[in-house]
Amino acid sequence: MGRKDYVGGGIFIALGIFIAATSFSFPELDGGHPGPSLFPRVLAALFILFGGIVVLHGRRSAAVKTEDSSEDERPPANRFNPILVIILIAGFIALADTAGFFITGSVALTILMIRLRVPALKSVTISILLVAFIYTVFSKGLRVPLPIGYLGW
Amino acid sequence: MDFLIQGLGMLMAPKVLLVICASSLYGLFVGSIPGLSATLAASLLIPFTFFMDPVPALVSIVSMSAMAIFAGDIPAALVRIPGTPSSAAYTHDSFALSQQGKAEMVLGVDVVFSAIGGLMGAVVLMTSAPLLAEVAMKFSSFEYFWLAALGLSATVMVSRGSQAKGALAMLLGLFLSTIGVDITLGYPRFTFGNVDLLNGISFIPAMIGVFGISEVMRNVMEKQMQYSIPPVKAGSIFKGTGKLFFRYKWNVLRSGLLGTFIGILPGAGADIAAWLAYAVSKRASKEPELYGKGSIEAIIDSGTANNSCLAGDWVPALVFGIPGDSITAIVIGVLFMKGLRPGPMIFEQQPQIIYAVYLAFIVANILMIPFGYLAVKTSSQMLRVPKNILIPAILMFAVTGAFAINNSVFDVGVLGVMGIVGYFMEKNGYPVAPIVLGLVLGPILEQNFMTSMIKSDWNLMLFFVRPISALLGGITVIVWLFPIYATFLERTRKNSRARH
Repeated sequence: MGRKDYVGGGIFIALGIFIAATSFSFPELDGGHPGPSLFPRVLAALFILFGGIVVLHGRRSAAVKTEDSSEDERPPANRFNPILVIILIAGFIALADTAGFFITGSVALTILMIRLRVPALKSVTISILLVAFIYTVFSKGLRVPLPIGYLGW
Repeated sequence: MDFLIQGLGMLMAPKVLLVICASSLYGLFVGSIPGLSATLAASLLIPFTFFMDPVPALVSIVSMSAMAIFAGDIPAALVRIPGTPSSAAYTHDSFALSQQGKAEMVLGVDVVFSAIGGLMGAVVLMTSAPLLAEVAMKFSSFEYFWLAALGLSATVMVSRGSQAKGALAMLLGLFLSTIGVDITLGYPRFTFGNVDLLNGISFIPAMIGVFGISEVMRNVMEKQMQYSIPPVKAGSIFKGTGKLFFRYKWNVLRSGLLGTFIGILPGAGADIAAWLAYAVSKRASKEPELYGKGSIEAIIDSGTANNSCLAGDWVPALVFGIPGDSITAIVIGVLFMKGLRPGPMIFEQQPQIIYAVYLAFIVANILMIPFGYLAVKTSSQMLRVPKNILIPAILMFAVTGAFAINNSVFDVGVLGVMGIVGYFMEKNGYPVAPIVLGLVLGPILEQNFMTSMIKSDWNLMLFFVRPISALLGGITVIVWLFPIYATFLERTRKNSRARH
């Protein structure tokens, strides 16, 4: 965890500094008492303190080199999959309003299933059926106005 | 008595019974799939509870979580992979006994003692929550501030691995809770001109992201997408459990009470209860050498404790609005969503809802016997559900659920960002449950702190003047200082060992 702790602790220290710096623009209460800035400043100080502890811990543990065996058990090809999940969510955000829930959802599901080695035809069929089911549950059952898009449902 | 009858009436409504059955089956399914946790199941259930009345919404979480925690035992016994973290403590014992041809007995013990543990927890919840609520009626903003601080501190204390990392996760949740319009002056904080952020980070998408999307991201990396096991002869699973109950009745009592007590402690969940009960059981056992190699006593103790813990978790959540674990953090979110403020007043204003929750625990744990039997009978089919189809389905439910709360793609963005945050934090040894607890408790902590400061004219000493406030403050400070004391003690021991 040595190098990872450096980075992780460093990110939290940077977040603490950012919160503290931003909080200086917040207004004060009558009598000069801190108002909206008080809680964020306390948090900022604690972020820096605990971030520092994690960095120090990382420095100590860096001396003892450990291997992360859990990583090795996963096929290297699968390491792209978490990124694909995020790309698909981003794609849904970008396209759902225009293309609609049904098309966007089905395409996203098909891509992910094919990536997870489900045969193409099975992926397409299951994706369409599953998205139709989810659409029915949320749109018809729970009355959620899911984006209609090109299909004009 | 009237409220009990009213609560029973609410619970027995056909729609509510249907919700209990459906959420029980859902809990059994998710719990029995390795890698999917009860918290994930709860987070995916929330979008549905959003559209329900308070009673079905709450009882769905009760029945789902009870079943999911039990169902985690099934893959532990059959494929040596715990379905949920709560079954991890006794996985080796369960699997070792299964390998000896005793899978039916292990699964029968899992069903029966999970139900007994759940019922014990329900009794403690029913008796202790109203008493504590009377005490809590005397609380002011000072006491509530300390309670929230104690809850958060306890969460950090019990978090796995580094406590500093637990603290950072909790601070992240607290920070996220500050985004939006502040409570003192109505000033927009950390919104950077984004209108969507004015109302703050929506709790539900954030929670589904942290628990759901991060689990999806982890699971899509896995090599094994399907498990193959021989079918279990469910007909004989209850054979001999009566004898075991009489043989280990004191173990059951001890573990049930221990599990409930762990549940009542803010921040500690069913997995911690199971590990502690396992350790206590091993120490007290006449056959400690069997632990880890196939001890039925270990399974009885830990299985009783993890299910009794669930009801215990609801005590601080209902009485003080302080979550006992990540599932009750979700419950608090649901209560707020339904316009109910958890705390002592809910016992005065909506007692029938509280009674319905008590009774739901009893009904869910009684239902666990037939439903558990069904789950064991169908376990080989459930475990055969290919994860490469299930995981994309979960992703789609998560995205749709996040969207459904405010009909906004912004919330889907929150879901994605929190998923990334949760994934990377877990990958680097940071626990994620404190993020959600921080997000839930942040507004309570800040509001009560600011109210107390303004009431006391910025005199911090008043936080230690009122007796209960001073007691809670003292305990909180002790919790803060404990890691320093423990480190000091460890170093002193090391030094003395080095000298000898």
